[in-house]
Amino acid sequence: MHHPTSQATIGPFFPRTFFREGDNDLRRLTAEAAPTARGESILLRGRVTREGGVPCVNAILEAWQADASGRFRHPADPEAHLADPDFGGWGRAWTDADGRYEFRTVLPGAFTEGNRRRAPHIGLVVMASGLMRQLQTVLFFPGMAENAADPVLDLVPPARRRLLLAAADGEADGMRAFRFDLRLRGDAAVETPFFTE
Amino acid sequence: MPDRFDPWTPGIEPVVPTEGYASTFTHTPTLPPIRRRATRTEATGPVDLWRKLPCGDDNLAVVSPGRPAMGQLIHIAGRILDEDGRPVPGAVVELWQANAAGRYFHPNDTRDAPLDPDFIGNGRIRTDAEGRYAFFTIKPGAYPVPGPGFWWRPPHVHFSVLGPASLSRLVTQMYFPGDPLNPLDRILMSVPDAAARERLVAQPIPPAEAGMGWLGWTHDIVLRGRAATPELP
Ligand SMILES: [Fe+3]
Repeated sequence: MHHPTSQATIGPFFPRTFFREGDNDLRRLTAEAAPTARGESILLRGRVTREGGVPCVNAILEAWQADASGRFRHPADPEAHLADPDFGGWGRAWTDADGRYEFRTVLPGAFTEGNRRRAPHIGLVVMASGLMRQLQTVLFFPGMAENAADPVLDLVPPARRRLLLAAADGEADGMRAFRFDLRLRGDAAVETPFFTE
Repeated sequence: MPDRFDPWTPGIEPVVPTEGYASTFTHTPTLPPIRRRATRTEATGPVDLWRKLPCGDDNLAVVSPGRPAMGQLIHIAGRILDEDGRPVPGAVVELWQANAAGRYFHPNDTRDAPLDPDFIGNGRIRTDAEGRYAFFTIKPGAYPVPGPGFWWRPPHVHFSVLGPASLSRLVTQMYFPGDPLNPLDRILMSVPDAAARERLVAQPIPPAEAGMGWLGWTHDIVLRGRAATPELP
């Protein structure tokens, strides 16, 4: 029986030198690999702000999601053998002086877990100076039929669910773009819902 | 592979917002997190992340031959474990720290302390089959946290560990034993449980074992998650 090691903030100086071109592109297995050919490429962008809407600078966002057909290339997925072998599924981005971040990925597929249908979604981990514990949240897409019965979205008070929905944000580089802003702290009408076990 | 993620045991997680650490009062959410069982999204994660994040950069102290960084050369080694005490192979371990003068090689660190041209201060490796990691580096200096009610951070090393699942993601800090700044550090002291704080402090290795030239430290890190069903040997 071992206790997990305590978390701490990343502080203000998470190294820029850890980042390489393509780290924020979930479509690639490696920085050099071509993006997967399966699924619809999308651009995801937004801002991370704190109390008062002030930007969080050098915050780190990590994204993890299923492939275009809703499968994870991971032994815990019963259909892992059918997962897209060219899709990385993980990416990391940092926020600039305005709190802006950007990811490139594919629109995730819906999948069945247990007897529930999961809506297309992306798991996000947020770390920042002033955040002693990392935050976890889930991004959903607008207009998906499965949103109405997603077991995680169901747990969020109805008035706050829209805070977990990305918004259509035009096109960029020939891809549909979505906007998802994270407000770490604010009143209930604006604060992003976060999750824990 | 862990497939069980229990809630944190009380006392291990830092208290937030954190007394005396002003920016925790503007960043910490006001509402408690919503409880949900770990779903497949959280119980999985990239199994071959080292392909995306190149690993092997384990010597921060001597980047160019014959030009060691300023400061006490140290060696930090340990194991990455899960909550069942089993080693976590293939975890990506990132380490970053200030130089011997307490200054980070980062555009946002504008403090008036010298940069060391021979020290960048970050590295990344992958744990071996026994969950082991090791870095050569230097002992970091203390530095002040500016603002009203400023305080000094004791020498510390930042660790970022990417394990087998999203929920095993860990960012933590390692401290050095006996430093008089440790009990005054608002970040270390935000962990209520004394034993949990003690687990953030590295252990010295007998100099004879560490070898000439380097002071050795050992530091194990435990990620969240346990195997609900034991793995076959
Ligand atoms: Fe630091």
